[in-house]
Amino acid sequence: MALKRSGTKYDIFTKIALVLVVAIVFFLIILPLLNILIYSTQPTGSAIITNAFSDEVIRQILWNTMKLGLTVAFLGTLLGFIMAYTQARVEFRGKKVLHIINLVPIISPPFAFATAVIVLFGRSGIITRGVFDWRPTLYGYTGLVLVLTLSFFPIAYMNLLGMLRSLDPALDEAGSSLGASKWRIFRTVTLPLLIPGFAGSFLLLFIESIADLANPLIIGGNYTVLASRAYMAINGDYDIPMAAGYSFLLLLPALLVFLVQRYWAQRKSVVSVTGKPSGRPTVVTSPIARFFLLSVTFLLTSLIVMVYATVVLGAFVKIIGVENSFTLEHFRYLLGGFANAAVKATTFLALIATPLAGIFGMLIAWLVIRKVRRGSEALDFLGMLGIAVPGTVIGIGYAITYNDPVKIGGVTVFPQVAGGAAIFGGAIAIVMVYIIRSSPAGQRSGISLLQQIDPSIEEASASLGASGGRTFRLVTLPLISGAFLSGLMYAFAHSMTTLSPIIFLVTPDISILTQKILAEADQGRYGNVFALCCMLIVLIMVIGGLINLLVRRFQVSTDRPLVTGR
Amino acid sequence: MAKTTGKLELRALTKEFGNGSEKVVAVKELSLTINPGEFVTLLGPSGCGKTTALRMVAGFETPTSGQVLLDGEDLSALTPDRRPMGMVFQSYALFPHMTVFDNVAYGLKVKKFSTAQIKKEVGEILDSMNLAHLTNRAPNQLSGGQQQRVALARAMVVRPKVLLFDEPLSNLDAKLRAQMRIEIRSIQRRLGITSIFVTHDQDEAMSLSDRIVVMRNAVVEQSGTPEEIYRRPSSVFVADFIGRSNFLSVNEVKKGGSGKVSVEASGVRLKVNAHPKALKSAHPHLLVRPESVSVKKSSASSKSRKANEGIVKNVVFYGNHVEYSIDTPNQTIAAVVSDPVYDEIVPVGAVAKIDFDESRAWLLPSDSAVIASEE
Repeated sequence: MALKRSGTKYDIFTKIALVLVVAIVFFLIILPLLNILIYSTQPTGSAIITNAFSDEVIRQILWNTMKLGLTVAFLGTLLGFIMAYTQARVEFRGKKVLHIINLVPIISPPFAFATAVIVLFGRSGIITRGVFDWRPTLYGYTGLVLVLTLSFFPIAYMNLLGMLRSLDPALDEAGSSLGASKWRIFRTVTLPLLIPGFAGSFLLLFIESIADLANPLIIGGNYTVLASRAYMAINGDYDIPMAAGYSFLLLLPALLVFLVQRYWAQRKSVVSVTGKPSGRPTVVTSPIARFFLLSVTFLLTSLIVMVYATVVLGAFVKIIGVENSFTLEHFRYLLGGFANAAVKATTFLALIATPLAGIFGMLIAWLVIRKVRRGSEALDFLGMLGIAVPGTVIGIGYAITYNDPVKIGGVTVFPQVAGGAAIFGGAIAIVMVYIIRSSPAGQRSGISLLQQIDPSIEEASASLGASGGRTFRLVTLPLISGAFLSGLMYAFAHSMTTLSPIIFLVTPDISILTQKILAEADQGRYGNVFALCCMLIVLIMVIGGLINLLVRRFQVSTDRPLVTGR
Repeated sequence: MAKTTGKLELRALTKEFGNGSEKVVAVKELSLTINPGEFVTLLGPSGCGKTTALRMVAGFETPTSGQVLLDGEDLSALTPDRRPMGMVFQSYALFPHMTVFDNVAYGLKVKKFSTAQIKKEVGEILDSMNLAHLTNRAPNQLSGGQQQRVALARAMVVRPKVLLFDEPLSNLDAKLRAQMRIEIRSIQRRLGITSIFVTHDQDEAMSLSDRIVVMRNAVVEQSGTPEEIYRRPSSVFVADFIGRSNFLSVNEVKKGGSGKVSVEASGVRLKVNAHPKALKSAHPHLLVRPESVSVKKSSASSKSRKANEGIVKNVVFYGNHVEYSIDTPNQTIAAVVSDPVYDEIVPVGAVAKIDFDESRAWLLPSDSAVIASEE
């Protein structure tokens, strides 16, 4: 029997929730995208799109973007796989520590990698020049590939590790009982089963790297990509239609790849998630394989450790690598006025957005899995738009849409929420961006959890006389509180570290930490950058931990297999 | 105690899924009247529409057409939470984040009972089902049988007019299943709640029901008491689905007087009871249950044997009964001899003489004839 019991009429609670969700999605993402489309038809915008392949400059930017996306997607997936395979199939000491180190880049602030890599491996890098007396040029393609691969490989790592762990060990055992060597099993059983995972990771990394704005700004040099060019159109050319044109060129491949990833790569997955693993996974014992896997792992992990060591040390010394004397002057400067307002505003706005994003994600998940019959996939997609659309595009769309009140036929249907003249100095637009950017994570985990919960538990509540809203509150919400919690944590961390859409929405009244980091990095004041990154990381850890504690108090234990019928 | 409320009527209940070429008819014009306090089982193979029918009664599925009436009142407009029915699910569907007490109290809280009253009602029902010592346990700390009883208590404590059971025993082991059957039936009798029970297990249907409704391919094949269904099935399908059967091909079908029909089967002339449509059917079958076949040793050799003698192909001794399968010239006959006499079991390879108890045999129309005559 299908998970969705599709026979009942929508109750009033479902109807209200549905209307609410659609309205929120409309104002938070659809309308800004529509405006991008509308503006991109104006002369300077449509010129970008129609000349995309004939104009040499635009063609070069397009090619730069694609080349970067493909390289990072390939290298990131490869590294992610090696790390995941080592984690899942090689026995060695310090595995758990390694796992955590591999995950750290996910919550790290956008500039930590770029700046630390410049300090370590740049023209006057501590390692390149200091150790090898070598002065390579990092700015451009090489630096971008290095930084983006380091930042995004954890996505592939998590993806593939999950798949590797859910592979039934009995498959390997069956292979070896049929006489296949370990190498043969790896080639003919493990790898083919992981192909959907490779495809999915590749596509996700591609989207992330073509959408990234922070790193091209810091380390891109003359290597211009669509995101940075769209930013320049706003901040250099002051040409909104032109920015909309570049946004359109960026939006198209991003959405296309996202659709392929969601509706093709995920469908292809043949990994069956069975309840109990029926044996122990085979462990790699071949010395050559072990040596190879552990060397790559060791190199990559030490690179990550070095980057973070640079960030932390760099925050507490005058100029790291040049004048290594201890100082608190960076923090003194930042907290002496430069960043105080930004710390408060960022934390405050992220805290407002966090529960809203969490509830919104859960609500969509519940509607998609349990309630909506026709069009549940469309609703799911609408909810995911916030993460599928590059942040730069969202930011430009917001700037276009909300710097004036939204009017239909002369009647204001939505007030001006962005820009200095808006209420609360444009803070509302920033919160809106935080919500739409971070709710998809909660939506995903909510969906996967709901799929595991027997729908008859909710039906039992209805048959005992509880209304739709009551059932959601008393039964559904407590059961998915685990996903809710992880959604909250992610929403907070993501809001605190997001840059690309925010950059277009900060005003003199509201400054945001990530944008302060960009400004300092731009000026080459890396000590301040590192200090700001440290503050951001500490803030995320402390407040994230508090959220965790708070929610855990109200959480019930559902960490057991729920009986599912049929 | 007989109740006067709880009369349930299903009127031409139909459910179709999908559209156009993918359209599937899950339930087709199901009409059924269930009297107050009656226990009716919907029985059939998986995919026959029985669960869909139950879910339409509960309100989880909206019928494509047709009505559900309770005591004359049309329930079509009511969502599941407005229907005075309790449901017991196959997976029990206990709320995993609530204790046994909270699970059972849930429906009473929804109905805004006072705290004191909730405590009293829940206490009583947990007591009566031997669950009192588990009041504060979480569902995952209970065994399957205990979870089942909590689910039953939770559905009954709100005093529904109708109880709906969706294969509630299928996740239990055989022994517990038999025990729960008795428990469910005795509680249902005591409270006199109209009940619909969905199952694919014929033993469950036979032992629980006042009436069995056999479904096949979205339609009702036969409705009757367990005895009628077993002894007077209306089709080969029903006879085959309930219990084990021998279907003998028959010759020379004649009216035999006193309502009986005279037929020749396996070379023996028998006077049997017959389904009204059997006489009109081109190829009627004679239903003889294995326990209506008697088996004796025969002195005939395998070459000289008659039509009612066969070679024993297989014998299984169970202690209280023996199961034979015997090759006769026409077909293989299954026979069950209960309480066999010591040393009188016919061994494999030997010739056995078989006799049919004509008073327990039943002449059936072939299935195609049934379909043809209905059109």
